Amino acid sequence: MRTEKKKSHVGAKIAIIVIIAYLLLPLIMTFIYSLFQEWIDIAPTGFTLAAYTELFTDPLFWKAVGRTVVISIIPIILCTVFVLLAMYVVVVYHPEWDKMIQILCTIPYAIQGVILPICVLSLYSSAPEPFGDRMFMLVATYMVVILPYVYQGIRNNLNGVGAPRLIEAAQMLGASKFYAFFRVVIPNIMGGVTISVMLAMAIVFGDFVIINTLAGGQFMTAQMYLYDIMKKSGQRTCAVIVVLFVVTLIISACAFFLQSKGKDRKDR
Amino acid sequence: MAYIEFKNIDKYYGDNHVLKGINLEIKKGDFVTLLGPSGCGKSTLLRCLAGLEQISGGQILLDGEDITDKDPKDRNIGMVFQQYSLFPNMNVEENLSFGLKLQKLSSDEISRRVRDAIDMVELKGKEKEYPGNLSGGQQQRVALARGIVMQPKVLLLDEPLSAIDAKLRKSLQTSIRRIHKELGLTSVFVTHDQDEAMVMSDVIHLFHDGVIEQSGTPVEVYTKPVTSFAAGFIGNYNILDSRAMKRLTGKEWKNGQIAIRPETFLLSRDEITTEDYCMQGTITDSVPRGNVLRYSINVNDVEIYADVLFRSMSMYNVGDKVNVGVADHNCVRL
Repeated sequence: MRTEKKKSHVGAKIAIIVIIAYLLLPLIMTFIYSLFQEWIDIAPTGFTLAAYTELFTDPLFWKAVGRTVVISIIPIILCTVFVLLAMYVVVVYHPEWDKMIQILCTIPYAIQGVILPICVLSLYSSAPEPFGDRMFMLVATYMVVILPYVYQGIRNNLNGVGAPRLIEAAQMLGASKFYAFFRVVIPNIMGGVTISVMLAMAIVFGDFVIINTLAGGQFMTAQMYLYDIMKKSGQRTCAVIVVLFVVTLIISACAFFLQSKGKDRKDR
Repeated sequence: MAYIEFKNIDKYYGDNHVLKGINLEIKKGDFVTLLGPSGCGKSTLLRCLAGLEQISGGQILLDGEDITDKDPKDRNIGMVFQQYSLFPNMNVEENLSFGLKLQKLSSDEISRRVRDAIDMVELKGKEKEYPGNLSGGQQQRVALARGIVMQPKVLLLDEPLSAIDAKLRKSLQTSIRRIHKELGLTSVFVTHDQDEAMVMSDVIHLFHDGVIEQSGTPVEVYTKPVTSFAAGFIGNYNILDSRAMKRLTGKEWKNGQIAIRPETFLLSRDEITTEDYCMQGTITDSVPRGNVLRYSINVNDVEIYADVLFRSMSMYNVGDKVNVGVADHNCVRL
């Protein structure tokens, strides 16, 4: 019995190592390729940090990364706030609306990537400000794209903590419904909200189709910069990919650190 | 004078008439139980008193004040929920001080009240624990402490012990009863467990299908059921019609139902002369129920249940002939 258990543990470990290797291998290869001038033979030759030096000294790159971060964060914050407010109304006043909201929030899943920005453009390109503003359109479109992920994460977590019960308990202790929702329920679902936000961040960060359709060449983001570099140098392309990966990793780590800090306080 | 008054309370969920003109008065300091099966309206009435449900018609008075349209936060009523409803991100101390902080009490006063409440529910040393690290019984004690720490006018308990195992439930029943007495609270307790209602209550209101079927002290409700539902729900009574009673006793009975508690039957191998009605039957089944043995007995083709103390000396086997006696005053006309 014990041997069988041991065997299954070993099997599980091997499976995990294989999956990690499968996921990391392309990244490692990209990183290696970004550090060498040539890779014709088995081993690469001509170690150089030139690709990174050029990248880090290129103001266009940092502007593009900065824009990407900003246009990722703004829609995510806005979408999360709107969904939380909507869920407050659903949980506290109209639980019967839950099904309808769920259907509405799931619709963006069904819209193909390129259709959404084209529809937005044809609808709003001649609309008055601020609706006709490309930045406004971009932020609003991203909000629609990430809506299902943010909504589902928040909804599942609200159900998980038993939000109506917590609100009732807080009310009996003298809290208003609004206070109870935002001071009792929300802190209890922050873990789930963080994961939803990270998922949304990954989606927006990796987008090329929507930004290219809506903003074109006027507004260069990291993905567009990458697309541009691809035409010029394979080595620099790899360097851009590695740096973007690290930036995403840092943002994710920050979010998880903040969330786990709150959790640690809770567990202490 | 009544401390809590429900005047002609109606509650509808759509077309479903859940509470049908409930009139109920509760005295200050009483431990009152709303007893009944699932879906009878007892929890709904409790939630209406808490303000968590709006009534469709009627009026609720607390200490002479009309609280019908008041928000729950303004009613000064404490509540203990079935599923504890503790705030998972707050430790025991924070859970207890949550409401006190909203009242903007001084930190000294908050500390004192929290300490007293923790002492009262015997959870000293658990102040810094989070709900997730506590057992079900401990969580319910915290919920109880949170209910009393606000010094409410009324404490509501919505089936607080139904998720707890039998042994712990008995200990918590005692704790709740003790705290109720020590603090001089007015408590309204909801349960579907008739034994729990008997043990804990000063007054029981038996609910059935949105109306109060019977009210009284535990002894009154137990010994003098007024309807077949009350007899069936409270005391596992034998409910027999007049024809069955005639076959059982050999005497004519007026039309209607008669309820006889299983423990009022006297069983003996010898002839019984001390009871008003004596008959002979055959044991068809026996089921041990703790310290009591429940026999199914066939008497002239009428199946009755009789409870006797579980002593090996007096045990009967299935198929045994047995003499059965019952006093007339134990045959309750419904």
